[in-house]
Amino acid sequence: MLAKMAWRNLWRQKRRTLITCGSVAFGVFLAFTLTGIAENSYFRLVDTGAMMGSGHVVFQPEGWDLHPSLDRTLADATALQREADADPRVRTTLVHIQGQAMFASGSKTAGGAFIALDPAREGPDVNLFLRCLKEGELFAEAGGDGAVVGERLAQRLGLRLGKKLVYTSTDKRGEIVSDVVRIRGIFRTGVAEVDASTVLLPIDRVRKTLGYAATEATTVSVLLRDQQDAPDVARLYREAQRGAGVAVLTWDEAAPDLAGLIAVDRGMNRLFQIFVGLLIAAGILNTILMSVLERQREFGVMMAVGMPPTRLVAMVLVESVFVAVVGLIAGIVATVPWYLYLATVGIDLTPMLGDGYNVGGVLMDPTLRLFLRPRHVLAVLAGVFGLTILAGLYPAIRAGLVQPVESIRLV
Amino acid sequence: MQDTIIELGGVTKTYQQGKLDVRAVDALDLKIRAGDFAVLCGPSGSGKTTVLNMMGLLDAPTRGTVTFEGRDVSGLSAAQRATVRRDRIGFIFQAYNLIPVLTAMENAEFIMDLQGVPRPERRVRVGQILTDVGLAGLEDRRPDELSGGQQQRVAIARAIAAGPAVVLADEPTANVDSETAATILDLMETLNRERGVTFVFSSHDSLVIERAGRVVRLRDGHLESDEARS
Repeated sequence: MLAKMAWRNLWRQKRRTLITCGSVAFGVFLAFTLTGIAENSYFRLVDTGAMMGSGHVVFQPEGWDLHPSLDRTLADATALQREADADPRVRTTLVHIQGQAMFASGSKTAGGAFIALDPAREGPDVNLFLRCLKEGELFAEAGGDGAVVGERLAQRLGLRLGKKLVYTSTDKRGEIVSDVVRIRGIFRTGVAEVDASTVLLPIDRVRKTLGYAATEATTVSVLLRDQQDAPDVARLYREAQRGAGVAVLTWDEAAPDLAGLIAVDRGMNRLFQIFVGLLIAAGILNTILMSVLERQREFGVMMAVGMPPTRLVAMVLVESVFVAVVGLIAGIVATVPWYLYLATVGIDLTPMLGDGYNVGGVLMDPTLRLFLRPRHVLAVLAGVFGLTILAGLYPAIRAGLVQPVESIRLV
Repeated sequence: MQDTIIELGGVTKTYQQGKLDVRAVDALDLKIRAGDFAVLCGPSGSGKTTVLNMMGLLDAPTRGTVTFEGRDVSGLSAAQRATVRRDRIGFIFQAYNLIPVLTAMENAEFIMDLQGVPRPERRVRVGQILTDVGLAGLEDRRPDELSGGQQQRVAIARAIAAGPAVVLADEPTANVDSETAATILDLMETLNRERGVTFVFSSHDSLVIERAGRVVRLRDGHLESDEARS
């Protein structure tokens, strides 16, 4: 009967209850939207960062993250690649040689970075630079003489498709070496510093230039089907590579700046949501308290005829539970179409942000989208539900403190 | 000799009104016996409601003792008093005070629900009581769909449904017309006579006083007279 009374009590003041449930629903909508936007941007940032060379999990020579140099290498990178490829959680693995070089064309020179890769394993689906190709194409052979350069670097060095580019670096023994390649493609990520300094080279040719063995490389980047598996995958590989001089890093260890940026942003986002949630909870508390104060006499009668205060507290709390449940359902109903639209179509913000929008040097998709994992959905629902119950706690306690003899006198 | 249900022994109740102490009841001795159909009467401020509240364990005396079915209840906690009220005392209020969101049937079975009586048993017992008080066919109506007299009948049904030792009624006819008041008194009288339900009213309605089997007159918190009628 307690639940029946609580449910009917809610609808004594329909408009007030609808407004209260609407506040809860709005809280759900807002929390899903804010969390969805933030989580989508973190998800894209991590994936984009991974496709710019760092992977979700990366094998490196020990100490390479602190002192990256071409004399530190993974002796058998292809074996690591085979091992990772066997894991069903892995989408693909990419063997790279990453280093610094001077680039020259004619009389013009510029410093920059190169990524040597195997064209047979890379394409626009796993490599952001190839997704951003503006002219030409990726070189076809790992041992060929092709190169793909950033648009700004090409402009700075006066490069066009088919032109020669000389790169000079230090080999495995510390000797200065150089080689000549021809421009097969030009990319534009929109991130100025990347476009002005990055060159993609064929890995076998670079191995030859640097004096590397056929299986040698500096990094093996592992792209996962789901980025959240990174800690588990990395833990497994770490155990397998213990004592082998190979460091296994997750994306956040390999890119601590990006991880820090995401952590700070996520913290601020949660703080903001808590503030908004408390404001909504204050409104809910106000309306539930009002409904309790209006029923003092009724509560007094119930207690006079023998209802224990705890049961009265429970009844008001059950009313809050119903408000929370109705509000959550309304919130979910209102959010689902909005979520589906933004998760699949999105809103293009290019006119506002431009097409080179980046965070910490990582290119961002300028389309507003939502992305939520089941744990985010549960956290939002639990948070809003908890706040609503919390808002009902004080009015419920007030109801339990009613003195029957005084309340019955009230008219 | 009838069993004593409630005994007030030298009961005094003082209220604080601003800086003044107001003595609503002063050293009152009174016994309510099983089967009584008693009325507490007297002018406004004579202490009728205060006495009824103390009898109903809604209020505690400042001095003196309240004994309920032979047990001193003066020192009971709020929760213990609530249990005694639930199980042994029925209340009828001047303004009916039904729970607006419950139907007549649900209002009448409310106390039995608090006692944990299973629903099928409640329904059978309350259904019979509602028929006895003349509300057959109105079980599913909510208070706002009932007349004042019908609401007071529901209140009576609620008060007696759980089989209390005593029913305390504060001005039960104050809010109904004289014809309805007479019908309600008939009903309570029948319940007293046929079911042995003990009733204590507070009232200054001459109709109630005329029909009472025992008239306890109060004045300024003192017992003025206690007259039993045959």
